[in-house]
This record gives sequence, structure tokens and C-alpha cells, in this order.
Amino acid sequence: MTLGFPEFVDNPENRCPVLLLLDNSGSMNGAAIAELNRGIASFKEDVLKDEQASLTVDLALVTFGKTVEKVQDFVSIDRFQAPVLKADGYTPMGAAIEYALDLIEERKIAYKSNAVQYYRPWIFMITDGAPTDQWEIAARRLQQAEEENRVLFFAVGVQGADMSKLRQIASPQRPPLLLNGLDFRSLFLWLSSSMKRVSTGKIGDSVSLPPVGWGTVGS
Amino acid sequence: MVWKAIAASEIGTAHQKRNQPCQDYADFCLLDGDVLVGAVSDGAGSAMHSEQGSRLAVKAILNYFQVVSEHRQENINHSPLSYKVLQKIFGDVLEKVKKDLQELADENNYYLEDLACTLLVFIATPLNTMAMQIGDGFLVVRTPDGPYKLLFEPDKGEYANETTFVTSDSALKEMRVTLIEEPISFICASTDGLEKVAIKFSDYSPYDRFFNPLYAYLQETTEPKQEEYLIPFLQLPDLNKRTDDDKTLLIASFEG
Repeated sequence: MTLGFPEFVDNPENRCPVLLLLDNSGSMNGAAIAELNRGIASFKEDVLKDEQASLTVDLALVTFGKTVEKVQDFVSIDRFQAPVLKADGYTPMGAAIEYALDLIEERKIAYKSNAVQYYRPWIFMITDGAPTDQWEIAARRLQQAEEENRVLFFAVGVQGADMSKLRQIASPQRPPLLLNGLDFRSLFLWLSSSMKRVSTGKIGDSVSLPPVGWGTVGS
Repeated sequence: MVWKAIAASEIGTAHQKRNQPCQDYADFCLLDGDVLVGAVSDGAGSAMHSEQGSRLAVKAILNYFQVVSEHRQENINHSPLSYKVLQKIFGDVLEKVKKDLQELADENNYYLEDLACTLLVFIATPLNTMAMQIGDGFLVVRTPDGPYKLLFEPDKGEYANETTFVTSDSALKEMRVTLIEEPISFICASTDGLEKVAIKFSDYSPYDRFFNPLYAYLQETTEPKQEEYLIPFLQLPDLNKRTDDDKTLLIASFEG
């Protein structure tokens, strides 16, 4: 007697939304923006090396400088095209954070209506300055979202960043980190390894992240 | 009139990579000739000794009902099964499981949370079936002529689980119970490792083509053996491509 084995449902893959929230204000001009661009490209390359992570990670990119701009809405990472960002303008960080939170809520609605399960979204913000707009409301919204487990927010300061203001914006459990020099590459490789860990974990489980070799908890 | 049942667990590839043991456990027993008690449990990935927790939780369940069955004469209690009675029965069971886990923790200097695990239990008689679930995993049943039915929809919060464990403070509150007041012909209890290949997430319906072969195997086999069918299935490379978590199946059929 030969009996067949069970067949499998084709449920959609779990998604792990990551939103890069990048400062491209005028002060980032020169080596900083060039290294940042290289870092983003290496992030994509590195995630694609991992089968599960490439199936899972959805990436969006929002910049804040001259304006708050959605450079790329959420797409699966293989369809993400690393941009060449240019630096110009001020640092409308408050508006950028609020925009990022909205974009994430929108994305969740899309997931839900397609019966897609998802991991807690990440917002990964990089800045070399201080907000030049009203940021207090954004900070409050962000911290509330963190408290309600709706988002994980990471703030990274590049030399010159106002770390004390970043500390007021970020959630107390996850203080901002100061990047070593312009080592964006290590930072993005860390982000990629973190995504690999998250995407093999169970949804809802807390995963321990790899050690941060690229920065320090700035004082 | 006969129950046929088998159970097996296989380690997930992610656990192998991390040198973790298989944290799933499943077992069943037959009482009074026609009552089948089954339990499956998934030890929390984040808990240190959860493979001991899941094993003990399952053993505690079977042991509890064996004792109840042996003392049935003394405990004549013919109150009809209502939701309230079910909650009481399973609430008592949960107490007992927690007590056993606490003892194991004390003996070994563990925290109770080190033994965190989910728990799914059913007691199936030729007439009706009681079931309970704490945390994720799934229970699917069918009546001789009915479709497959998922007993409890996944208890998903925003991120699909943040699952409850037997050791959680909220375990009793989050415990779900149900009574099926007609004879069933098939039941399957499993942990969340197989959820995404067996249950359609769009409407949480069981996937016929997943369950039909399992049911057919039991129907067509006089003495089902786990190593003949369940284990080879749970070890399939194609399955491991779909899920890297521990996998468990406890399946049973009844022919009246």
C-alpha cells in the first residue's frame, strides 16, 4: 500500500517591514552622503545572500532634508533599487517621523487585507543633526507606538548629531547610538544580520540582536 | 468500535542549527477502552529548559486523566457538560500541570518560566469531544460526513501571536475550551510549526489536502505506526523548506 503525504497550503510568506528614515540635509554633503549611499547598497546585497531574509524583508526609504520624501514605498528587498541620495536643506525630523509612522500603519492595513502575517516593523533613522522643525509631538507619537509594541525605532547619530535631542526622541529602552566615523557599511551589515535573525524567528518572539560593533551609546 | 492514534515530533532545522533540542512533545492514552486523551505541547524557544516543560506538561495531562478515570466510581458526577463545567475541568487540569512544572522547577533550581510551553488537549469519547488550547498550535476535527474544522482560530494579536504559555499569569484567562456534541471520526493536534502548511490563513480553514492523507492513512492501516508514516513525513526535505520550526502531529481516527 502506498499512501501520499499531506500537501501544503501556499500561505503568503511572513513579512518584516523595515523603513529607512535617512537625513539628507545639507550637512550630510560630501563623504557622509556618499558613504550612506554605499551602505544602503551593501544592505540590499547582504540581505539577498540569505534566502529566508530575502523572502521576508520589505524595505521602504524616506529621506528628510529639503523635504520629507518617500524615495521608495515598501517593496520586497529584491525589487528595491538602491538610490543615489543627494544632500540639501534642513532637518525636518519631526515631520519625517510622523510620515514614517503613517506609512507603516498603511502598510499594516495592506498586510491585513491580504492575510499576510508580519513581524514588528522597524524604523531605522540616521541623522547628523538636530530637528529643525517641531519634533515633540512626533516623539510622543513614536514613544507611544513603541510602548504599544507597534514599532521598533532605532536612532543612529552621525558625528555632529544632537545626541541629547535624539535621546528625547527615541524610546528610553533603545537609546540612540553614535556611529563610529562614517562606518555606514558596518551599520548596514548589522541591520542585515538583524533581519536574518528576525526573519527566522517566530512572529512575536523577541530575538537577541547581534552585538553593535559600529557604534556606541553616545553620551 | 475503535480509536486508532499515533503521534510524533521532529526537530526543526532552525533548532538543529542552534543546537537546541526538539521542544515539541506529544502523547496520548486510551482510557476505559473508548476514551482517547491526547496532548501536544510546544516549549517556548526563548525558555531555557522548555523541552522538559513540554514533556512534563503532556505527561501530567495523561496522568491526570488516568487518575480521574480510575476513581470514576468515587467521583460520580453526572452534571451535564456545559461551558462552565468544561472551564472548571480544564481549569483544574491547568492547576495540576502548573503544580508539576513548579515542582520540576524547584527540584532543579529553574525559574518556572524556564519551562514555558503551550498546551493543547482533547478528550474524545465515542459521543463527544472536549478540547482546550493555551497558546498557539492547532486542533482540527471532522465528523464522518462533515468538513475539517479548526477548533480554535489562532490567537493572534497584532503580530500574529505573542503567544500565551501554560506558565503565563494569563494562562487561565487565555485558555480556550470547547465541546463537540457529536461523534467525531478524526482529530489532529499539532504545534505551530505546521500551521502555515496546514491552515489557510485567509479564512483559517484547514487545508483538505493536508488532512485527507493523514485520515486515509489511519483508515487504511490496521496498526498505524509512527515510524512508517508520520516520521518520514515530518522529515521530508520539502516540508523543512516550508518550516524550520519543530513539527508535531498527533492524529486519531474513530470508527463506530
